[in-house]
Amino acid sequence: MTESSSGRADAAGPPPRVRVTAPRPGGGGASARPLPQHGGAPTSDIAGVYARSLIRSQLRLAIVFAIGFAVATALFVLAIALVPALDSSFVFGVPASWLLLGVGVYPLALTVAGLYVRAASRNEARYRSLTEAE
Amino acid sequence: MNPVIGYAAIAAVALASALIGFYGLRVSRTTSDFYVASRTVRPWWNASAIGGEYLSAASFLGIAGLILLQGSGGLWFPIGYTAGYLMLLLFVAAPLRRSGAYTIPDFTEARLESTWARRVTSTLVIVVGWFYIVPQLQGAALTVRITTGLPSWVGSVAVAVLVAVIVAAGGMRSITFVQAFQFWLKLTALAVPVVALLLIVGGGEPPAQLTPAEAFPPAAGPADLDVYRTVSLMVALLLGTLGLPHVLVRFYTNPDGVAARRTTVIVLALLSVFYLFPTAFGLLGRAFAPDLAASGEADALILLLPGRLVPGIWGELLTALVIAGAFGAFLSTSSGLVVSLAGVISQDLLGGSVRGFRIAAVVSSLIPLVVALSTESTGLAGSVGLVFAFTASTLCPMLILGIWWRGLTARGAIAGMLTGALLSGGAILGGPLLAAAVPVLRPFLEQPAAWTVPLAVLVTVLVSRADHRGIPRGADAFLTRLHVPERRVH
Repeated sequence: MTESSSGRADAAGPPPRVRVTAPRPGGGGASARPLPQHGGAPTSDIAGVYARSLIRSQLRLAIVFAIGFAVATALFVLAIALVPALDSSFVFGVPASWLLLGVGVYPLALTVAGLYVRAASRNEARYRSLTEAE
Repeated sequence: MNPVIGYAAIAAVALASALIGFYGLRVSRTTSDFYVASRTVRPWWNASAIGGEYLSAASFLGIAGLILLQGSGGLWFPIGYTAGYLMLLLFVAAPLRRSGAYTIPDFTEARLESTWARRVTSTLVIVVGWFYIVPQLQGAALTVRITTGLPSWVGSVAVAVLVAVIVAAGGMRSITFVQAFQFWLKLTALAVPVVALLLIVGGGEPPAQLTPAEAFPPAAGPADLDVYRTVSLMVALLLGTLGLPHVLVRFYTNPDGVAARRTTVIVLALLSVFYLFPTAFGLLGRAFAPDLAASGEADALILLLPGRLVPGIWGELLTALVIAGAFGAFLSTSSGLVVSLAGVISQDLLGGSVRGFRIAAVVSSLIPLVVALSTESTGLAGSVGLVFAFTASTLCPMLILGIWWRGLTARGAIAGMLTGALLSGGAILGGPLLAAAVPVLRPFLEQPAAWTVPLAVLVTVLVSRADHRGIPRGADAFLTRLHVPERRVH
C-alpha cells in the first residue's frame, strides 16, 4: 500500500484527493511502508515511551467508557424492572416500561460517545504537545 | 394487496440505485477509485453511507417482526445494533483508519506479518459476508412474495443480479453515493408511515384489535428479562459490529483518525433516530395486527400494516413507500457486503485488478443466492443475530487484541479465530440437534456469544503467550502508527 499523503483535510473545502493503490499480497504488507516521519515516529527511546504511554491511556479510557456504558445500561434496565408501576401506567396506549427501554438507551450511548471523543482527543493533544515540545 | 404498487415501488428503487451507481462510474476510473473512493469522502456522507449499508433486512423488517412476536425482548436488537458503534468508536475506529489497511485481512497481515493469518482472516471474512447476504436475499423473497404475489425466488434473484451489476460496474465510489441515498430513503420510508399511522390511530379509527393491557402484557415486558439470553445477545451485537467487513471498509475512506471518530459518532446518532421507527411499527403491530404473529408472517408486519390501517389511495402510497425502503435495505446491505468481499477475494486470489474485482463481485453475489434459494428463512433478525455472534467470536478478538496488545502473535490469532469459528459455528449449525437431545443447553446454543467470545479471547492470549518469540518485529512500530495522531497542517 503506497500513499502519498501530501496534505490532510483542512477545515474548508473538500479534502484533497489521495491516490491509494491496493496492496499486493505477499508484498511485505504495511510494515514495509515507511512509518510517518513526523510527530509520532519512534525515532528515539523517549518517543517510544511517549507512544506507549499514549496507547496505555487510550486503552484505559476505552475500557472505562465501555464498562461505564454497560453498568449504566444494566442499572437503567434494573430500575425499569424494579418499578412495577411502569408496566401499568400507559402513555399513548403503551406501558411506560416498554417506552423507556425502547428509547432510553440511545441517549445514553450518544452521551458516552461524545464524552469519549473529547477525552480521546485530549489524550492525543497532550501527546502532541509533549512530542512537539522536544 | 394491489400488486401494481409492489412492482412500481421495486422498479423505482432498482432504477434509482442503478442510475446513481452509473453516475458514479463516470468519476471512478482507477484502481484506487474502485477500492476506496480515493479517500475524499466527508464524515456526513460517510456516516450516511455506513448507516445505509448497515441497516439491513433485519433492521428494516426484522425488528418490528420480533417486537410483534416476542414483545420487549425484541427491543434489545436495535439497542445492540446501535451500541455496537459505540464499541467500534472506543476500540477500533481511529486506530483502524490509521493502520492504512483497506480490509480486515490487510490489517491482519500488516500487524502479524503472516500470510497464514491473512488467509484465515480472509476465509472468515468471506464466510461472514456470504452468510450475512443470505438473510437479505430471503427478506427480498418475502417482500416480493407479499407485495406482488410472484414466487419467492424472484425477489432473491432480482436483488442478487442487481447488486452484481451495480457493484461490478461502479465500484465503491459510486456505492458511497448509493448507500448514502439508501439511508435517507430507508429513514423516510419508515418515518412517514409511522407518523401517518400514529395520526390516524390517534383519531381512534380503526380501533385496536387488543386493549393496551392485552397487547403489552407484563409477561412480555422489560421486567421479565431472560438475563443469560439478553447478555449473550448484547455481547454478540456489540462486538459483532466490530468485525463486519462492509462496515470496516468504510473507515478507510475517512481522511484521518479524528474524522473516523467523528464519522462513528454521526453513525450512532443516525441509527438512534432510525431505530425509533421500526420500534414504533412493532409496538403498533402488537395492538393492531396481532394475527400476523400467529400466522408466522411477523417479518411482513411493516409491509402490511399501512395498507390495513389506512384505507384507499393513501394506504397504497404508504405501502409503496415501505416496499421501496425495504427493497433499498436489501440492495444496500448486499451491495456493501459484495463490495467488501470482492475487495478481499480479488486482492487475495485475482491480483487486485479492476477486472478481478468485477469477477469477484459477480461470484460474491451468486454464492449467497444459491444458499438463500436452498434454505428456509427462520426470522430475519434472528439469523442476522447469529452472524453477529460468529463475527464476535472470530474477527473481533483478533482485531481488538491486534490493535491494543503488542504480545499478539500470528499463531495466537489463528488459534483464537479457529476456536471461535468452531465453537460458534458448531453451536449455530449443530445447536438445534444438540438442544433437542439436551434441552438444558438450549439457551447456550441459541445465543452462544457469551461463552464463545471469552473462550476465543482466552485461546488467543494463551497461545500468543506461549509463542512469545513469535511477536512480530514490527509490532511496536505498528502499534505506534495505530495510536499516534496524524500530523496537523500548520
